Amino acid sequence: MAIQTVGRVLGTDDSTPLEFWVAVANGQHLQLDDIIALDRILPTGDKVAIYGIVGQVRARHEGARFDSDVFLIADGVLPADVSEAAQIQVTRVVPETFVPPLPGAEVRKAVDEERDEALDMTDVEHRLPAGLTRDGQPVVLDLEFIDGTKGAHVNISGISGVATKTSYATFLLYSLFNSGVLGAAATNTKGLIFNVKGEDLLFLDHRNTRLDEDERARYALLGLEAGPFRSMRVLAPPRKGDPNATPATGARTRGVRPLYWTVAQFCEQGLLPFLFADAEDERQQYTIVVQSVTAQLQRCARQSHTSDGAVRIDGRTARTFSQLVTIICDKLLPEDPDEDADPQWTGRSIYTGTINAFVRRLSSAERHVAHLIRADIDDAETHAIDLDSQQVTVVDLHMLHDRAKRFVVGVVLRQAFEAKEAAGTAEPLQFVVLDELNKYAPRDSSSPIKEILLDVAERGRSLGMILIGAQQTASEVERRVVSNSAVRVVGRLDAAEAGREQYGFLPAVQRQRATILKPGSMFVSQPRLPVPVLLEFPFPAWATRVAEADLGGERSDQPADPFDGLT
Amino acid sequence: MEFSVESWAPEYGSSLNVSSSEDAEDLADATVERELDNWAPIDPGPATRPDEIAFIDGIQRIDARIWIHENGISTPAVCVSMAAGATVCAPGTAITTGIRVARSLVAPAASTAGPIGTRHATYEFVPAQDETPEATYLAIHGRRTELEVGVARSVSCGLIVFDGPLRGYRDPQGVGYIKTHHKVYLPQAVRAVLGDLADGQRTPLFFLSGGQARGRWSWYLRLPGPRVHPMSGIVRLELPGTGTAAEAVQRAEYVSACLPQFASEPHKESRAPQNLYPISGIERELRRRLGDAHLLERALRIAAGHGT
Repeated sequence: MAIQTVGRVLGTDDSTPLEFWVAVANGQHLQLDDIIALDRILPTGDKVAIYGIVGQVRARHEGARFDSDVFLIADGVLPADVSEAAQIQVTRVVPETFVPPLPGAEVRKAVDEERDEALDMTDVEHRLPAGLTRDGQPVVLDLEFIDGTKGAHVNISGISGVATKTSYATFLLYSLFNSGVLGAAATNTKGLIFNVKGEDLLFLDHRNTRLDEDERARYALLGLEAGPFRSMRVLAPPRKGDPNATPATGARTRGVRPLYWTVAQFCEQGLLPFLFADAEDERQQYTIVVQSVTAQLQRCARQSHTSDGAVRIDGRTARTFSQLVTIICDKLLPEDPDEDADPQWTGRSIYTGTINAFVRRLSSAERHVAHLIRADIDDAETHAIDLDSQQVTVVDLHMLHDRAKRFVVGVVLRQAFEAKEAAGTAEPLQFVVLDELNKYAPRDSSSPIKEILLDVAERGRSLGMILIGAQQTASEVERRVVSNSAVRVVGRLDAAEAGREQYGFLPAVQRQRATILKPGSMFVSQPRLPVPVLLEFPFPAWATRVAEADLGGERSDQPADPFDGLT
Repeated sequence: MEFSVESWAPEYGSSLNVSSSEDAEDLADATVERELDNWAPIDPGPATRPDEIAFIDGIQRIDARIWIHENGISTPAVCVSMAAGATVCAPGTAITTGIRVARSLVAPAASTAGPIGTRHATYEFVPAQDETPEATYLAIHGRRTELEVGVARSVSCGLIVFDGPLRGYRDPQGVGYIKTHHKVYLPQAVRAVLGDLADGQRTPLFFLSGGQARGRWSWYLRLPGPRVHPMSGIVRLELPGTGTAAEAVQRAEYVSACLPQFASEPHKESRAPQNLYPISGIERELRRRLGDAHLLERALRIAAGHGT
């Protein structure tokens, strides 16, 4: 194929090894995100290939001095030429001799192999399909920057409602499991997804009925077969007030397991601090009380030897969370005002006011988490949360109150993390998809959950626990969580947010464009390239809501209209 | 050829205005359209826009003054860059075209001057009659006129407006457009008509003959614009002196109706309104095409062997 020259490096703006301008030739055009290549022959005779992406394009009248000259020019009175130029952000220089391209050098569009060179994809051994450029060409990420070999974690920012964050997180997961990039390990690799909003992620294992042939073809371009996740389990909290602990999931009924902990697990595993994970809690005195009570509960749980998940505390049995709260309150605030509280439970030198603060918060949590901590179900112990039985485990949080959400996320994450620690090997990998990171790892405070997330972010790489985190605003998330992510993805941003330092990896033009990105497209910044690349990913091949789900023979237990048939 | 570049040159980089060749010996016959008693401003016809109209202009710039050394004698000479081009205006487009650039070494014909080759350009030898400034200017002027006529021949347009007198160009499409008035050709009796011209109005035709140039039809026209003094916005136009007076009047009507829409405004053009937009556009482009004066001067110094 003949190489097509689209223009020449211009000499009226500085040309640098990182950025330069190209004057577009007559009859040619360059648009944003086009990929270009050019060569420079050094005085030594060596050839340096320079590759780049079009970051900005401009057109102007040459020969006009006043804005209003445009009318004269359009009327054919004043002569002027239209000049078009494109700013190039250099992606690669091969070999790494950082010389500027010379003015006048011919610039060509990079296609086929040269395009792969430009995006540094030619010598990627483990290729993870990550999306398509706007011209419909596949882009791969280097798995080694995700699986922990050279880097780990993915962080996604973007305002909600433009279908990018969780959709892309699930797309990446699908790509990881189905592209073959993980090889034989794919079967045992696990995904843990926290569903925070609506029922969006409860139908990942159903085909999406709205997927058309065009989108299917885009999957094919990426080397993927369009289809749902194959193996999935949903863990959902029980319905409130339901003595059988039936999971409350709404439309989804199959493959759902209830999500709760027995009182014994709660005490023995020391889960109490996860109830006090609000941002302001850390600054309060009563954390000392939390620690003392947690220690006492652990002690009691070890001594009680009940088999039904209940805990005996000094002769009283706690079978429900309410009972447990009552017992704890009695320990801390004896009925007889003259009697001192047990210092083993309160901690030493604690004022009554502090104890009251603890009790107040514990009581207020009771209403939100009572259905999650219980020993009133038969075989309660067998309902231990199992993250390994299926490839993908979706933990449904969307019905829970914020305090309960934090509790569940913290506890499940800790369980998964401790399991990885105990396993001692990074493989098979455990991927965790968590949206609303700003809630769980806020920038300005600390909490038990944030500690876990920091652990994952900093040690997960070597332990094989990979976080695919998302948030609307990276500026509100703990810096270390974001900065440990090798791959950063930015969907549409609020204009004020786009200006913050957390997006320093986006050049100015990309920041501006981030405010107008359309759904399904985003900038992906990865360690191999100095310039973020605009990617699109295909429409999900799995249902993202019940209306899209191909339920096949599966029938819901409930009629679509619960009042159907009533007169 | 041995030469050196004068380090101090007052005209350095200047555009060097060559005085127009309006000939003092020209005689005007102001009765070809109307009797002198009937002279009065003539209203323009309805504004017309030709399908295509070309404007031709040229500029020059002294790049360096040099001394040519031979046998111990030094002769002054100048290195000049010149350019000419056309703007062809059609409804909706104005295109600069046919640009020609020439670089000349203007030196007395009697000297041993030859072309000077530099890194960026070659200055062709253009002989002048002697070493006086007038002769040098005439030589430059002659070369520039050659360029302009060459440009004019390269465009095919029904109406070709020269910035300046016709200078011997005889093709019927040509119109001379003179902005500066070294002399008023009208007889005293009708000169007051010039001051009475309103925007767009013209004087009756007169015929110029008797000088070195051949006969031309001519008239004055006032372009629209602010009137600072009675001659503000007044230009003189020339047609080749062929055909009958009636034909010339018809042509003059047409040209007078065409030109005012190209008149410039003071905030955009210091020589408004006479310096028409297409002409100011082409001048700007030509200046660009002359190249960087410092660069050329350096190239000349290097060629002379005493520069880096």
